Amino acid sequence: MSLSIYGQQLDSRLLIGSALYPSPEIMKKAILASRSQVITLSLKRQNPQENSGQKIWQYIQDIVKQTSGFLLPNTAGCKSAKEAVTLAQMSREIFQTDWIKLEVIGDDYNLQPDPIELLNATEQLLALGFKVLPYCTDDLVICQRLYDLGCQVIMPWASPIGTGKGLMNPYNLETIRLRLPNATLILDAGIGKPSDACMAMEMGYDGVLLNSAVALADNPVVMAQAFAKALEAGELGYVAGIMQQRQTAHPSTPTLDTPFWHQQYS
Amino acid sequence: MNIYINGQSMQLTSTDNLTVALQSFLSTEQQQLSYAVALNGDFIGKNQYGSTLLSTGDSIDILFPIQGG
Repeated sequence: MSLSIYGQQLDSRLLIGSALYPSPEIMKKAILASRSQVITLSLKRQNPQENSGQKIWQYIQDIVKQTSGFLLPNTAGCKSAKEAVTLAQMSREIFQTDWIKLEVIGDDYNLQPDPIELLNATEQLLALGFKVLPYCTDDLVICQRLYDLGCQVIMPWASPIGTGKGLMNPYNLETIRLRLPNATLILDAGIGKPSDACMAMEMGYDGVLLNSAVALADNPVVMAQAFAKALEAGELGYVAGIMQQRQTAHPSTPTLDTPFWHQQYS
Repeated sequence: MNIYINGQSMQLTSTDNLTVALQSFLSTEQQQLSYAVALNGDFIGKNQYGSTLLSTGDSIDILFPIQGG
């Protein structure tokens, strides 16, 4: 069972970020432990006096080589379609990939995506040949519009970035799965616990993208392993077919030949 | 003329192009690294640096890879 991102088959359904780890060494160990083959990263200004990003970039390149993995640059920090399109083009030149995790933020408080600018940027980037992975809210209609524009992958949030609050609106997420059966759905942002990722997979999501939940754990390497197992469990659960919930209790043990203590004496 | 690179003010001659600006701003070591450039908010590909002339007040962004989520 593999994840397909714009035709690229991947063994792992976990996409993982490269930020916020206690050290580059722990980042590398955690990403390898997660078995993820897709690593997100970004671009920023750097002045002549500093080279802080270079060490991380070296580590990320090592991980990609070791895992036969793929880079997924993001447009974090962009607040307009124009900014996002420019940053995506810069990322494509540096990272030599058409994949772009498209983020266009509309509110500084909860870092909620701006749906209008997101659609605008998506349309432009698809026209420029990008394979767009848009980060969006759990609004069904926005997801539908992104899919209609040509996004094969849609990435609704579980909850705001970095909150670890898990799946705020399971109903919305289930509805998106139901209404977009052919889209590759990846739950992105707000994941806190392995059980959150498991729940998404049980809903039939195709994958999960996370960062803080692993990077900010007391032990990121062990947490990365936990997430790998959680995704696997959730996926197997979905494939196996989860039983329907019932309103009333049903005994699990057969009632035929119930022992003597249930006998009615007249 | 005065231009801005990554928010810092810089003086160049009026005939300078983007290649000159980048060489003036970046250390020799940094020039060997992976980076990409935008001029006044628009992406400029590497093959266009030499042919991109600058004007007073231009704003250049030079971006490098970093970690991200």
